[in-house]
Amino acid sequence: MTRIISNPMIRKELRQRLRERRAWLLPTLYLLVVSGTTLFAYSLAIDQTIGGGQREIQGADIGIAIFMTVIFTQIVALLLMAPVFSAAAITIEKEQRTLPGLLTSLLTTPQIWWGKFVVAVLFLLLLLSSGLPLLTLSFAFGGVEPMQLVYAIGSTVLVLASICAVGLWCSAMFRRSVHSTAACYGLLLVLTVVTSVIFGFLASHWSNTNGSADQMPAYVQAPLFLNPLYPLLALVSGDIRAEFSYPLSSWLLFAAMGCLAAAFAMRRLQRSGDQL
Amino acid sequence: MIEVKDLHKEFRGGRGLKGFSLEIEAGELVGLVGPNGAGKTTLIRILSTLQPADSGSATVASFDVSGKPASVRAAVGYLPDVPGVYQDTRVDEFLEFFADAFRLKEPRRTAAIERALERSGLEDRKQDFVEQLSLGWKQRLLLAKTLMHDPKILLLDEPATGLDPLARMALREELKQLHAGGITILVSSHILADLEDICTRVVFIADGANVSEAECSMRRGAVAPATLRCQVEFEGPASAADAVIGRIADARVLERKGGRLVIELQGGAKDASAFLGELLVAGVTVIHFDARGPGLEERYRRTFEERPS
Repeated sequence: MTRIISNPMIRKELRQRLRERRAWLLPTLYLLVVSGTTLFAYSLAIDQTIGGGQREIQGADIGIAIFMTVIFTQIVALLLMAPVFSAAAITIEKEQRTLPGLLTSLLTTPQIWWGKFVVAVLFLLLLLSSGLPLLTLSFAFGGVEPMQLVYAIGSTVLVLASICAVGLWCSAMFRRSVHSTAACYGLLLVLTVVTSVIFGFLASHWSNTNGSADQMPAYVQAPLFLNPLYPLLALVSGDIRAEFSYPLSSWLLFAAMGCLAAAFAMRRLQRSGDQL
Repeated sequence: MIEVKDLHKEFRGGRGLKGFSLEIEAGELVGLVGPNGAGKTTLIRILSTLQPADSGSATVASFDVSGKPASVRAAVGYLPDVPGVYQDTRVDEFLEFFADAFRLKEPRRTAAIERALERSGLEDRKQDFVEQLSLGWKQRLLLAKTLMHDPKILLLDEPATGLDPLARMALREELKQLHAGGITILVSSHILADLEDICTRVVFIADGANVSEAECSMRRGAVAPATLRCQVEFEGPASAADAVIGRIADARVLERKGGRLVIELQGGAKDASAFLGELLVAGVTVIHFDARGPGLEERYRRTFEERPS
């Protein structure tokens, strides 16, 4: 246990990451994007003429609008950043020719992987936590329960950790950062866009057959279980919540994907002497 | 200390090792020499546990490289052919990281870092970023890092590549000192003059296999017992030297160029000394005498020129 925490890789990686320009540039950009969308969501929520007519504005509506906007903006922004932090983590060692030094030291392959993984996830957690004040704004307006916040953060962390593991696997597979990062973004595209398209086809077939899109069975939704946004859809109020009601399956799939990616990455790292 | 038997490792294109064998005793400083693609780097990588062999066996410090890689890593210091450094870390941070990577505990950890700083001569620059160091200083830092965990064996792959003459000389002296301190060293290099200067033995490798040890191994200062090749350089007329050579049975002049003669004699080191003594008694002004036979460069040229490329 002590070895996991006092892993020298973590200290080295953190030190190097925090010295990079992106250490302050990315959080700044991230906060600007999240603040901008929150402000946009707030202004939409208080717009009384939305939908073509006058409506009564309740504090809860504003709270929910801010909450949903922030959690979805956060996960999209962080998903875009996850490959940047993870997919180059091992390839940079190959490019700098420092990997032989690591592999011939007494650091084990899991220790090297763990150090890279923890630092990638920690940086994303730093960004996620910097957006927390904006999320808690929704409590001031009401309509959001603390458990929803815990659920949203938990889901986001699980999905991001899994994507980081996939990024590290890409990094172990390729020699160049540009290739591994491109591969990781490609996989991310498959998980987000391709799963949605497949779901669209299946849902359309289901509604044509049954004459309604209601109560879609699990197998129709199955492609979406691998979509990083799926677990958060269960938070959305109204009809969608009833439709997308299998977050546990999605969590389990992401956990399994992360574990598999970790195992493959470590195996590849162990054999990377031939790649040097 | 290092035992390699019938080691095979094949890469695409047919390069690699094809049944290479080697034995290195404790305290030896062995040079590994061969043309590009001969398998030097592959051999050193297998011995340092970076690459697995396809077949054959390799033991380092009595540990099998594939069965006990962690024990081998603890006993070995490995410096790759193109070593990398973390440019964005400070010198002391770089050494601290590797002290932790080799699981050195206090007070050994601090002592190892201080010793590495002293060894590399970077005590005054420990707060500098590694990227600020010249190639020579980086190489010294890397060698110091390689020695941090007190390895019994050093595996050095082309350590002098890219170094300027002064840095090369410093590296050569450092290796001599380490060898004198009892560390067993296997070093591959294309700089034959350096190897000739520091190695106790040089092993030739070509196409992943041994080139006859009898043909190519060289012990510095040792003289072949049967046939002796002496190089003599002198000032003045050659007649006095010729008279001495004429008095020695079985002496044969192989080469003659101005004041330089290459002579083949029968015998050993004592006969070489006696020959030199006779030259001096005969009044020949000897300015250079070498009875070690052909140098490494000559052996290398002869060996690899004869091999089909």
